[in-house]
Amino acid sequence: MLILKNLLRRRTRTLLSLLGIAIGIAAIIAFNAVARGFKASLDRYMHGSGAQMLVVNRAAMAPEYSRISKEEVEFVRNLPGVEHVSPATFTIIAGRVLQKVKAGTKLKFLTVFGRVPGDRLVEKHRPGIDGRLFEAEDEVILGSDAARDLDVKLGDTLPMLNRTFRVVGIYRSDVKFESAGCVIPSSVVQKQLAMGDSVGLCFLYLKQGADWKKIRDTIEEKAVNLAAIQTQDFTQYYNQLDYIDWFVWIVSLISVIVGGLGVLNTMLMAVSERTREIGTLRAVGWSRGQVLRMILAEGLLISMVGGALGLFLGAFGAETLIQWAPRGLDTRYSALLFVQGFSIALALGFFGALYPALQASRLSPIEALKYE
Amino acid sequence: MSDPAIRTVDLVKRYPGADITALAGVSVQVERGQYLCIMGPSGSGKSTLLNLVGALDTPTSGEVFLNGRSLAKESNLDAVRAREVGFIFQLHNLLPTLTSIENVEIPMMAVGATRRERRARAIELLESVGLSHRLNSIATRLSGGERQRVSIARALANRPALILGDEPTGDVDSKTGEQIMACIHEARRRSGATLVIVTHNPDLTKGADRTLHMKDGLLQ
Repeated sequence: MLILKNLLRRRTRTLLSLLGIAIGIAAIIAFNAVARGFKASLDRYMHGSGAQMLVVNRAAMAPEYSRISKEEVEFVRNLPGVEHVSPATFTIIAGRVLQKVKAGTKLKFLTVFGRVPGDRLVEKHRPGIDGRLFEAEDEVILGSDAARDLDVKLGDTLPMLNRTFRVVGIYRSDVKFESAGCVIPSSVVQKQLAMGDSVGLCFLYLKQGADWKKIRDTIEEKAVNLAAIQTQDFTQYYNQLDYIDWFVWIVSLISVIVGGLGVLNTMLMAVSERTREIGTLRAVGWSRGQVLRMILAEGLLISMVGGALGLFLGAFGAETLIQWAPRGLDTRYSALLFVQGFSIALALGFFGALYPALQASRLSPIEALKYE
Repeated sequence: MSDPAIRTVDLVKRYPGADITALAGVSVQVERGQYLCIMGPSGSGKSTLLNLVGALDTPTSGEVFLNGRSLAKESNLDAVRAREVGFIFQLHNLLPTLTSIENVEIPMMAVGATRRERRARAIELLESVGLSHRLNSIATRLSGGERQRVSIARALANRPALILGDEPTGDVDSKTGEQIMACIHEARRRSGATLVIVTHNPDLTKGADRTLHMKDGLLQ
């Protein structure tokens, strides 16, 4: 009763403070949802490949810098326990280049997957494809998002990478960056990036019962340039993704500090304005603890409402963000993320109100009653 | 023989920062159920005495006994104020956003009364001070006299044995002042509480069992 009425007394100030918390929490939810969505997309892509292991160049910090020689590919292919190897290349075409390809496209970049015609990584697109898989060097299959944004249809031509491709198939994928990308013969990527006959990475399909650790150890022992990981560990292996996490948390932290200062300011002003009332409460027998709890509860109520609003705004913001941001981004939410966001909101309310609450509880009733 | 409601022994209150001696050694005794009126000009120390007796402040030296118990030995003065003392302030000090009922409920929150108990008691008290038509009015919408009657009801909320009034009619006209004093006397008659009022209005001495005068921090 008292807590709610106290907050409603200065509605604008309470609302602004509440919005400060809401925006801080929304930033946490939105950035985390996008960052987690990106990681989840990578995990889904790796899982969708059907491969159990991935071989990359040990010296490459990111997969785009990885190079594996033809001899190394052959060495891996001939290891006992390895059923099949899918060599792969990829590159990303920048938005400004795409603008020249197709004026007015919404695509900010196009991920180009270089694959060997007829290989498993190409065949996985066969179910549900409109058209067919590529067979020649001047043929491309496009993800449905990429086709829509580039405004191309089956049979159209697509000039890129210094040649003209014919669109022979349009595939669907629940992995956003794959749906916003295209697949072409690996040999074209090798020529364009002057890779010679080396590839970027190798997907390994293991025989039934093969021990992946043993294969890893053999690869890393005999081919010292290479590192072998399980496909499910891809996002952990490339710790550049950790930078995204750090960026997300730093931006979130700044938002949160701003929100916390809002609560602190609101509650300090509230205590200052209500000094005489707090004196009255103390005079009629309220203990220091009761006054402390009242101010803390006001801060917590602001943060609870602000936090709940922030969760909603964050999810809404993230969905809006990926509509406006470059194609290929995805969102992922978890109960834990919402619990984290709401807990941070509660912590902000608590700590933002703690100092004002302590100040209020320490007021001498007689001094507070004299306060003008 | 029972202990007196109030006994002060050589009460001194100094404010060292301002170099002021508000009370210079006051000893007074008030029997249970009595009405004591303390008169004196502004700055004579009468409000300071009331604050010390009501456990709102602590003396520099000397001692206050309520019903024979020394306040200096009380570990919880909040509980003393909540359960044993009812204050009526000159400026009523109602919480402006709350209704009459909610204002009267405030002291009962300090003693852990249930919501139902608080509400029933608040309505009973407000009806007894003639405010049955103003139960749900916000404090700021009440007249000066009505506000003071709500503050009388609030002072009685926890059935205190001691009611302390600091210029309870100081902020209203004389006719309203008479109504307020009638209300206080009626409340005292029904509760049997001891009443101490400090004022510089001689009209308030009517009906007092004793009237004392203060000047320069001393009883005359």
